[in-house]
Amino acid sequence: MTRWFEEVENDASNIVSSRVRLSRNWEEYKFPSRLGAQEARSMIGCLRAAFGDLPERDGRAYAYRDLEAMEELDRMAMGERRLLNRTLMEKKTPGGIFCSEDERVSLVLNADDHIRLQVLAPGFDLKGCYEEADKLDDYMNEKISYAYNTKYGYLTSYPTNVGTALKASVIIHLPSLSVSRRFQELLSDMGRFGTTVRGVFGRGSDNIGDLYEVSNQKTLGVSEQEILDLVMNVAGQLSEQEKQVREASLKKNRLVREDEVYKSYGILKYARKLSMKEAMTFLSHLRAGIADGLLETEEFISIYSLMIGIQPANLQKLCKKPLGKEELDVARGRYIRELLPDLKSKQEDNNE
Amino acid sequence: MICEKCRIREANIKYTEVIGGVKTEHNLCSQCAQEMDFGQYSAIFDGEFPLGKLLSGLLGLSSPASRPQRAEEVVCPNCRTSYEEFISNSRFGCADCYHVFDLLIGEKIKKLQENASHTGKQPKMRPACETVSSVAGDGSLELSGQEQVSQLERQLKAALRIENYEEAAVCRDRIRALKGEKQKNDEMV
Repeated sequence: MTRWFEEVENDASNIVSSRVRLSRNWEEYKFPSRLGAQEARSMIGCLRAAFGDLPERDGRAYAYRDLEAMEELDRMAMGERRLLNRTLMEKKTPGGIFCSEDERVSLVLNADDHIRLQVLAPGFDLKGCYEEADKLDDYMNEKISYAYNTKYGYLTSYPTNVGTALKASVIIHLPSLSVSRRFQELLSDMGRFGTTVRGVFGRGSDNIGDLYEVSNQKTLGVSEQEILDLVMNVAGQLSEQEKQVREASLKKNRLVREDEVYKSYGILKYARKLSMKEAMTFLSHLRAGIADGLLETEEFISIYSLMIGIQPANLQKLCKKPLGKEELDVARGRYIRELLPDLKSKQEDNNE
Repeated sequence: MICEKCRIREANIKYTEVIGGVKTEHNLCSQCAQEMDFGQYSAIFDGEFPLGKLLSGLLGLSSPASRPQRAEEVVCPNCRTSYEEFISNSRFGCADCYHVFDLLIGEKIKKLQENASHTGKQPKMRPACETVSSVAGDGSLELSGQEQVSQLERQLKAALRIENYEEAAVCRDRIRALKGEKQKNDEMV
């Protein structure tokens, strides 16, 4: 079964993926932070039984996993694939996850809130994600009654989620815009519109891979449609700006760009050891090169999917054993080498 | 005008006393006024919260025993989350917390969010406490007296939450009726 991220294009829109997340609480129970382990387990059991017919309703195959019983490495790997957030990766209290086979749809039980519904999609499809989430939300609501009041809307553990309890986000690849001088300025401007922009990989200002996630800050007093429009608008603006910077750089320094892309391909295709930073940097260059038509491979390979595959927990899952730092670098090199297709021969002729 | 007590400073306070229908007027400076005993009204001349103290003085609430509860001490009766805990973790413990802390959190939520009231989607299936009357009305669901009371209590709470006092009054009367019946039954047994 193909997972959604394997379908992420390397296209010039630079928009990698879209995500919608809805938080819901069952009004019968206290919120997870105030729920004893026993009570939490019994609630999870009820929810699991209630959502048992989800596959029939949704038409997708789902697997259920008990987060409490799951090994840490598995949780980390799921976190790297964006099925669990950082707090859930480290969580030791009862929890569960329903996850569709393609990993587009997931329902996390007893995390910050009783239910965290997430729909992911490749490319720019927030609307599609929300439509799907909306349907699933109605389905869940047939089974349980939500904690809701007319003033505050859907009630959540954190006051930052209350109201629509909707977080919409889009991941954009910004390799050129992010090195420009006005980038930090641009990011703080985004805050003024009510959106947050943060790096996806790497910590703080030490971004690796040039992927940035735009999401809405506010959830109360704004409608779902307004939230989606806002995030789509800001993401669209960033994507447009990136396009402009890239076009200008191609006109001015085509040779420099070509050199960068081919060198990156060469290293990725032949290196015997790749650190995370190296791999992410070269994959980012490669993605930009493919998007701008500077380089073409024989077959399609999603660069974003490679970026996820080389994260430490996923690599260790693939190798089926724990790996030290150097072993990880070796495994990372091998993984990319094996998956990266050859270059289209026509392209090489053109460059001679 | 000069203060009638010290006869030095300018009088800036006019104090009118009516005792047994006899009206006397005093003109005092603020310093002398502070030294005089005006009973509960002396609070006016204190630097701290003059108006608040005056109001509680007027309402007879100035005794320390009946001092209004401090916000930090407000506790959600359902999940035992105190307002102080909510502030330090910025996390609610249950749905009822929103109701309990409503007045305290309004401004904070406004700062965090676009607006203090919801404008988006509403659940198709409303919480049980808001729909139970229709379910019970069908007779499709037979509930024990105790269950009926607790569901009505939740319904009452929900009605109060949305400030629907008519509905709340109906619930209250039904709870009373049910409780009265129960008492009668108990007595008969």
